[in-house]
Amino acid sequence: MAPMTALDTLVPGAPGLTGHRLGTPQQAGALTMVPVTGPAAPGFTPPRTGLKLSRVAGYGRVELANTAESGVAIVPLHIGYIQDRAQNHALCRSAFLAPGQSLMFEDACCVQESQGGYLAGADQWFFILPVELRARALELRGVHGYGKLWDDIAALNARYGLPRRGHLEQILSRKRPVLTQFRSRLELAPGQVGALFFVAGTFAGLEIAPDPGYFAEMWPALVCFAYGAAAWHAEAPPADPAPLETAPLETDGDGGGLDGLRGALERDRAARLARIAGRLADVPAGPAELHEEDRFLDLRLSTVTAPHLAGQIVTGGGRTLYASLFAR
Amino acid sequence: MDTPTLLAHLQNHDTPLTLPRGGTLHWDDADLHRAAHTLDPEGYALAGLAPGVRPWQRARVLLQILAASQAGLDERARAVPARVARVLTLGLPPAHVITVLLALRRLRANHKHTTRTALRFVLEHPDADALIAARRPALLDCFEHALGKAAARGCARRIGEGDTGSEYLRRRLLRFLTAPAAAPARVRALYGAPHPDRHPGRHPDRHDGPQGAPRAVPHEAPLPVDAPRERPRTITATNRGDIAATLVHLYRGGPSEDLYAALGRYVAAAAAAFPRFEGTVALVLDASASMRGYGDREWAVLSQAAALRMVLAQVCARLEVVEAGGDESDPRGATDLATGVLDALGTAPDLVAVVSDGYENQFPGDLARVAAALPRAGVTTPVVFCHALFTGSDDLALRTPAPSLPHRGFWHQDDFAELLPWMFGHCAAGAPWLRTALRARLDDLDRRADGLTARLAA
Repeated sequence: MAPMTALDTLVPGAPGLTGHRLGTPQQAGALTMVPVTGPAAPGFTPPRTGLKLSRVAGYGRVELANTAESGVAIVPLHIGYIQDRAQNHALCRSAFLAPGQSLMFEDACCVQESQGGYLAGADQWFFILPVELRARALELRGVHGYGKLWDDIAALNARYGLPRRGHLEQILSRKRPVLTQFRSRLELAPGQVGALFFVAGTFAGLEIAPDPGYFAEMWPALVCFAYGAAAWHAEAPPADPAPLETAPLETDGDGGGLDGLRGALERDRAARLARIAGRLADVPAGPAELHEEDRFLDLRLSTVTAPHLAGQIVTGGGRTLYASLFAR
Repeated sequence: MDTPTLLAHLQNHDTPLTLPRGGTLHWDDADLHRAAHTLDPEGYALAGLAPGVRPWQRARVLLQILAASQAGLDERARAVPARVARVLTLGLPPAHVITVLLALRRLRANHKHTTRTALRFVLEHPDADALIAARRPALLDCFEHALGKAAARGCARRIGEGDTGSEYLRRRLLRFLTAPAAAPARVRALYGAPHPDRHPGRHPDRHDGPQGAPRAVPHEAPLPVDAPRERPRTITATNRGDIAATLVHLYRGGPSEDLYAALGRYVAAAAAAFPRFEGTVALVLDASASMRGYGDREWAVLSQAAALRMVLAQVCARLEVVEAGGDESDPRGATDLATGVLDALGTAPDLVAVVSDGYENQFPGDLARVAAALPRAGVTTPVVFCHALFTGSDDLALRTPAPSLPHRGFWHQDDFAELLPWMFGHCAAGAPWLRTALRARLDDLDRRADGLTARLAA
């Protein structure tokens, strides 16, 4: 569709994404996803198959391990885990884990207010916090206190018309059948390493992974939970689509007939792509602060803070290798 | 009335025929049946045998055939409905047939073919003895309506006096039967107990067994019209028919030589169940990432879609395949069904069939918009939507991209038996195919009915 310029606009001063391209947008209800393809940066442990939940040592204390034999793991920003009969947890920040390394996150947050019990070490699926909670969760990185996100979760539940409780599973688990359909309603493009997300036409987030394998393992958590929950809430009942504007049959060869229909479809799609391009251009821009949080050899993990967005990025070798940025 | 409308009605409208005591027959769709029968008596009768037609709809077809006069029809036009009626009396639960015969009595409908069918049911049904024991008053009414009360009682009196083959019996009763030797005993059984008219307090349709307990009415049809289907308790990627199961193993990287050999056999066997379609089908095959699926369901949906493609390739004189997304062996990317339909129409087919899980995400809504614009563009080629499902109970709320298109789901190889007639029924080239397929089905059922009758005669 176009050379990738959105990150340059969003985060002035961050290394660009040379060689990245935007693909053809996909839409499912209120969620629009613009795929990003680009050069792969090999050598990173993918988050689902390489990164494991080791244990929970106490409420708000979650240990992850990089079980891969090689490859540094970039812990996905705002990763979380759900198990039955245990207090579900999510992390407030990203981090690097060397191969074989374990790391205790002392600043994790509980996301299930009145449930007791510790998560057990497991090889299991993960979620990413819904986009509405991410800015607050990022602000709370480094803050100890397992109940620190409960008020925000309760407020989000109330906005969704659910009981005002600090229980994120009211959204993630009880609405899981409809949320997980986003995994099929939107489809991963070949070679995709990232995506721009819009909810109800408004910029919601930009996600970039080091390589297609890493992004493929992030895909369900991003489309179903990080952005899918907001899209589900914003989804309007399906409307009957208007027929394409075509010339009548009598003018076959001049806009009518099958060729005319094909032409009308192409014109209509071009107009819709232009509207999406307009949304991209409308993404708020402005100065952003980068604050380094972690480093591993030449890799740097930084927090991005701006009036219009927040998130974390990983840079190395003059490139942006990982980004999870969301609208505020 | 077009064939898809008739088939859809027969396969979905499942309210029973009812005969309230002292009231009128409740036949809510009588006009539709009469209209379809008037238009094409043979085609209508054959439609009653189409796979998946509901039992109560088959009962209506039987009722319509038996209620209608055959005056003015040539021998050929009479033969098929008569054979269908015979098959249905054996292929329906006996209670349904009894309702039909009582309805005929209520409608005061009687023709020679009605008489023949009723008498053969009452006296030659494989479960005739048990039925007479359990439903004697009702069957007696059917018998007396078929022959006329005076003739019926005249036959019964003569049989009671030992007559087994007099001219009177032959002309009025035995000439309608295929196994006359069994008739006298059953007529005696019919008249062997007091008629309910003489016991007004008792239910007219129940005959007590020993110790006053009601005798059970045999409820299984002796000649099932539709083959029993595999109903796995838990549906997996590999219990959806042999073709799909083999494809799943191939997609997973199983030993290809054995699997390909088996696949060829399975596809050939499945295709052999259908006559050749002498037309062109353009198949828009969704080969996007979602068709592959994930987890326990990985490959399940795509393998069944591919199985359908393979069977159609053998059945159709010409099959054009337009893949959307990736391809069968490497499903990937997004779903653009609208462009696929336009490409398919460009091959000048008799029918366009879209096979998809219904997740249209690249320009969603375009399939519906293109479908709505086709008439104005002068495109009359029918377009149907074959919904590739994981189970028959999938939630389709977010997976119906073009509600205005005729659509039908399938998840098991057994579904092809209903899916193909439904697909081909939408195009003109499908009419002869459907008639050939249903005639073959009638021939097969007739042969099996002969087997039942032969056992009775023996």
